[in-house]
Amino acid sequence: MKITDAAVFPYPCGDTSVRRFAREACSLGFDSLVAMDTPAGSFDGVEILSGIIVQDAPMRDVIARVKRAKDSGRVVSVNARDNGFNRAAISLKGVHILRGLQSADKMAFDHVTAKMAADNNVAIDIDLSVLIAARGVTRQRAIHRYRDVLTLERRFEFPVSLSSYARSYLDLRAVREITGLCSLIGMDTPGVEKALDTVGKVTAPPVSAVRVIS
Amino acid sequence: MSTRPPTLRENRRYILVRVEPAGTVIDQKELYYTISDAVTSLWGDTVAGLITQAVVAAENGHVIIRCLRGTEQELALALSTVTACRDVRLALRIVAASGTIESLRERIRTVKPVTEPVPAPVPGPAGADGAEPAVCVFAEKPFLIVNCNGQKVDVIEKGFKNAHRLFLTRSDLENS
Repeated sequence: MKITDAAVFPYPCGDTSVRRFAREACSLGFDSLVAMDTPAGSFDGVEILSGIIVQDAPMRDVIARVKRAKDSGRVVSVNARDNGFNRAAISLKGVHILRGLQSADKMAFDHVTAKMAADNNVAIDIDLSVLIAARGVTRQRAIHRYRDVLTLERRFEFPVSLSSYARSYLDLRAVREITGLCSLIGMDTPGVEKALDTVGKVTAPPVSAVRVIS
Repeated sequence: MSTRPPTLRENRRYILVRVEPAGTVIDQKELYYTISDAVTSLWGDTVAGLITQAVVAAENGHVIIRCLRGTEQELALALSTVTACRDVRLALRIVAASGTIESLRERIRTVKPVTEPVPAPVPGPAGADGAEPAVCVFAEKPFLIVNCNGQKVDVIEKGFKNAHRLFLTRSDLENS
């Protein structure tokens, strides 16, 4: 099992270099990180996966960007919007993660989208930075939304990923702390372990439904 | 008011926390208010009243926080939501929990010194003896080294306009 933080933003987006991120992540119990707009590599035994987030773009541009990044080995994420957009994004080949559901429409993620995410092996991301840094109504809404997502996850079994959205190594949290934070949204320890392992599963090439034996 | 006998006192637990980034000046009172805010925001007044958290000591970049026995999990979770103390960005990393302050002090004393190999000499951090802080170059800009611990190097861009800290490693400085 590979423990992965599904989104960090190293320098110049953040204030921490990718090497420092790797070093700190290693001491906090991570095996790999998805670093946005950073080349892939490996530092201090921590694998750095390159990632991109497609956001604030019309569907046509999203399709073009996803197509461009499809075979580059990068982790491709799309920021959630309204329900129609989310369904279209999930059905795109090459999209690995749908992010930002906590700030999307109330009806942005329903049972149909959940079923599509499960069928297309697209992970739904849980942004831990909201649970950590937000206060008051913002955090309450995020907790409510994530609980709703997890209710659908139990029913349809789509992958769920966990991201710290760390722009500094100070925003990273240890695996044990993440387990505690996820208990706020009703996720148990096996669920957290599964979610931390999700990036490897959604980026792995799909297994063919038919196996040729001779 | 006379002191209660030990059998009538509440049982307490103490949590040892490391403050990051290294070299952050900790004001015990400010940190208490920050933690109190975090606990109240996350758990509400009822549980906060039960936890009865208090910052007992702050020494060597570590802080000892007291709570009621059985509420360590709640306090630890609230501590992980602390991101700043009076506009100074920091992170509280939980090191250990114990029933006595003394055992945690012992733990602070036995914190392992940095033993990782240093690949190349890099000028030391800002001297405590009033010496000029060392200068390095990263991304073609000059930076002042404010903290240097093994491979980890914290720098601030030279000049008075930008006092934002960057967190790098020695390899970053060597490769830039």
